[in-house]
Amino acid sequence: MDDFKRIAEKAVHTAKKHGAETVEVAVTESVEFEVLVRKSKIENLTEATSRRIDITVSVDKKRASVTSSDLSEESIEELIVSALEICSIMDRDEYYALPDEDELGTADGDLEMFDEETTRIATAEKIRLATEIEDTALSLDSRIISDGGFFSNSTQRIVIANSLGFCDGYKKTSNSLGVSCAVDEAEGSGENTAKKQSSYWYSAAVSFKWLEPAEEVAREAVKRTLRKLGARKPKTQKIPIVFDNTTASSFLAHIASAVNGGNIYRRESFLVDKIGSEVASSNITIIDDPLLKGRLGSRPFDSEGVRSRVNTVIEKGILKTYLMNSYQARKLGKKTTGNAGEHSNLYIKPGSYTQSDIIASIDSGLLLTFLSGPGANTTTGDFSQGAQGIWIEKGELTYPVDEFTIASTFQEMLEGITMVGDDIDWRRTISSPTIKIDQITISGL
Amino acid sequence: MSETFSAALAHGARFSDIYFEHTITNTITMEEGIVKEAEKKIHHGAGVRAVRDESAGYAYVEDITPQRLVDAAAISSSITDSVATKNPKKLETVEYTDRYPVRELTTTAPLKKKIAWIEEAEKAAKSYDIHVKKVTVSLIDQLSYIQIATSEGRLLRDVRPLMRIIVTVVAEKGGNRQMGISSGGGRIGTEYFLERSSPAHHGREAARQAVLLLDAVNAPAGPMELILSPAESGILLHESVGHPLEADFIRKGTSAYTGRIGDKVASELVTVIDDGTVENDRGALNFDDEGSLSSRTVLIEKGILKGYMHDLISASYFKTAPTGNGRRESYMYPPIPRMTVTYLANGRSDPEEIMKSTKKGIYCKSFLGGQVDISNGDFVFSPIEAYLVEDGEIKVPVKNLTIIGNGPDVLSKVTMVGNDFALSDGRWTCGKGQNVPVGVGLPTLKISQVTIGGSSIQ
Repeated sequence: MDDFKRIAEKAVHTAKKHGAETVEVAVTESVEFEVLVRKSKIENLTEATSRRIDITVSVDKKRASVTSSDLSEESIEELIVSALEICSIMDRDEYYALPDEDELGTADGDLEMFDEETTRIATAEKIRLATEIEDTALSLDSRIISDGGFFSNSTQRIVIANSLGFCDGYKKTSNSLGVSCAVDEAEGSGENTAKKQSSYWYSAAVSFKWLEPAEEVAREAVKRTLRKLGARKPKTQKIPIVFDNTTASSFLAHIASAVNGGNIYRRESFLVDKIGSEVASSNITIIDDPLLKGRLGSRPFDSEGVRSRVNTVIEKGILKTYLMNSYQARKLGKKTTGNAGEHSNLYIKPGSYTQSDIIASIDSGLLLTFLSGPGANTTTGDFSQGAQGIWIEKGELTYPVDEFTIASTFQEMLEGITMVGDDIDWRRTISSPTIKIDQITISGL
Repeated sequence: MSETFSAALAHGARFSDIYFEHTITNTITMEEGIVKEAEKKIHHGAGVRAVRDESAGYAYVEDITPQRLVDAAAISSSITDSVATKNPKKLETVEYTDRYPVRELTTTAPLKKKIAWIEEAEKAAKSYDIHVKKVTVSLIDQLSYIQIATSEGRLLRDVRPLMRIIVTVVAEKGGNRQMGISSGGGRIGTEYFLERSSPAHHGREAARQAVLLLDAVNAPAGPMELILSPAESGILLHESVGHPLEADFIRKGTSAYTGRIGDKVASELVTVIDDGTVENDRGALNFDDEGSLSSRTVLIEKGILKGYMHDLISASYFKTAPTGNGRRESYMYPPIPRMTVTYLANGRSDPEEIMKSTKKGIYCKSFLGGQVDISNGDFVFSPIEAYLVEDGEIKVPVKNLTIIGNGPDVLSKVTMVGNDFALSDGRWTCGKGQNVPVGVGLPTLKISQVTIGGSSIQ
């Protein structure tokens, strides 16, 4: 870490020497490994280390940023000079400044973001894991076509420095193990005579030893693939929909964008001017917590060096705060929430229902397992996406459904959340349990 | 480079290539009436790949030295563990035709000129209507220096320009907020603004859309007729048949079009082509990222499936010629089959006749994008600007809709193809794990029935 701190501090110094009034620097390194095994052979194996320096300088509130993969002193100096040249033709932005000095700092304690073992796993072992998970999936059902077992991991080093004297860094790891499967539809459908169904599943964690066993992951992938066989197109109607924890997480990802301070001051969000208002059902509490131990989005400070803290974004339906960096906060007349870069671990607080409880509460509706397309517009609040799922009849899962859309607005969907599950999915930095939303239009036959 | 190749081939790989890249990307953004942000990114590195049959090993370096390249080659070679069977051939430069002649590179154009274009777009958007509340304009330009060397002795060098302007407008009336986007560019220089679309045009377009949508009604739900306007609607092709005809999915047997060469997969009015040679288009390439020269590949001819889009691995697997579709986002990624400029050939119908023949349907003019499930063939695409059509006439604008169909099914329902073919103004980026710029195009098209996913049940 000291090598990166030296590079960052040197860059701050060089920029000041050339006349920069403020300087922000990030030096990052990512050691990446990825292997995909198909039919017991390596389909693709990639291994590399990439490095990056990002520098933002300002003079008289005019700013410019430069990024390069070349960390040599000469190259960094050249970049800084070109950034300062660009600054001179920019407009003044009176809101631009470094964060307040008392906001800078590193959260206390070990956030367990780094796993030493992850950095030591032999390549042969990683290949073996990807091979094993593919073998397991294929052995579970003879109809399965493999699209490959995969293992990937990465180790990142991040150093942030600025001209107020902040300079600190941290390391983080992540691991992922999964398998993708397909299966032939025996009959096809209409013109689509070679129709197939596909799905995948994976486990992801900071620590290698926290990954779920290959057998469990493979079983889930196979289950998710086979249960799509014989999918029908549903009728156009309004029904209650259960978002499983993966589709609920993708719903939450859009909420993350709607509460992002940049989208708020640009008025590109349906949540503009809504602080203190009831924007969701009282079942919903959404938290951004960078201080959770051992989660993929944990961090001791944000990309401006602002000390991490927990933010409750929505509390029992009431919008409490946006997620902001210091610039966005200044634009909105508020204080930074430590979200420069982005959210950290953003999650919907789990409720007490199991997914089966939620399904059992529905007379006629569906379990949503897949969403697709760009039709979720957080500027207007419009929501319309392609979907796949399993039909629910009298509290039980019945047949699979596909080739339909669901359409509503984020405002109505947030208000319509009537049940929250206990099965939060922590495999990404945006995590949700299963949720039930009443009355959404589905368009099919 | 021969030492690098020897290391890559040392354990039984039969092919190796090295991809060198130096890319400069500049972005200038105007927001709230001020030129607020400017960013310059330099991407510099080289990737070494070793291939044996369907297996590929890949490693890249950013500090390009002979020793580091050999180290990367050694990592890539680890996909097999036998002995060398191939020797690298002597490198010879491959000649090609330049598909992107440029008069003035945007990347080296004076900053003051760039800012003047941005201001022109902003002003046009702002002054369009009193309901325009926010205007954001970005100008992005890129210049990539590429060199590819292969163990088969091919050496190719290219300089790839790319530029794009994006205008985003938010319009508000009462509590109603709507957004409009206009964007364009290509592998072209600053002459784009003089010869193709002016910055003011993009400003006005984005503002017009946002303001129009303030009066839009919720789109209907259920099956009905669909009319697609020329150019931008090519997104339908890109998703419905483009992705499923990328030969990696075919080779792995996961695409709904696997094993269907020679079958009728669309109406006889449908001819689909992927063509990387379209001059100055955003999807154009002199050669792909494996050094195969760009070509015009007929995918579907009069409804019959003719071919797939290949990279070197799939071409070798199917014992066919590469099609120039092996592409990558940057040196950080191994190449995979990708589209270049994908379009539907011109037809004979008068666009007005197509409109008049429509009883009840949706007419789409511009899009946010789309997505496809290549296995079951279901694809979606979401319009920004769309209208309800009744008895041959355009009625009200509609909002909040995604259109869903099944590739082979929808293409069999193409009942009219217009004679007004046009290519999209270069704005699309395709994501398949890696982002690459692409082009699309088509003439006015009518589909007899597709599911319109709005929220209003009729």
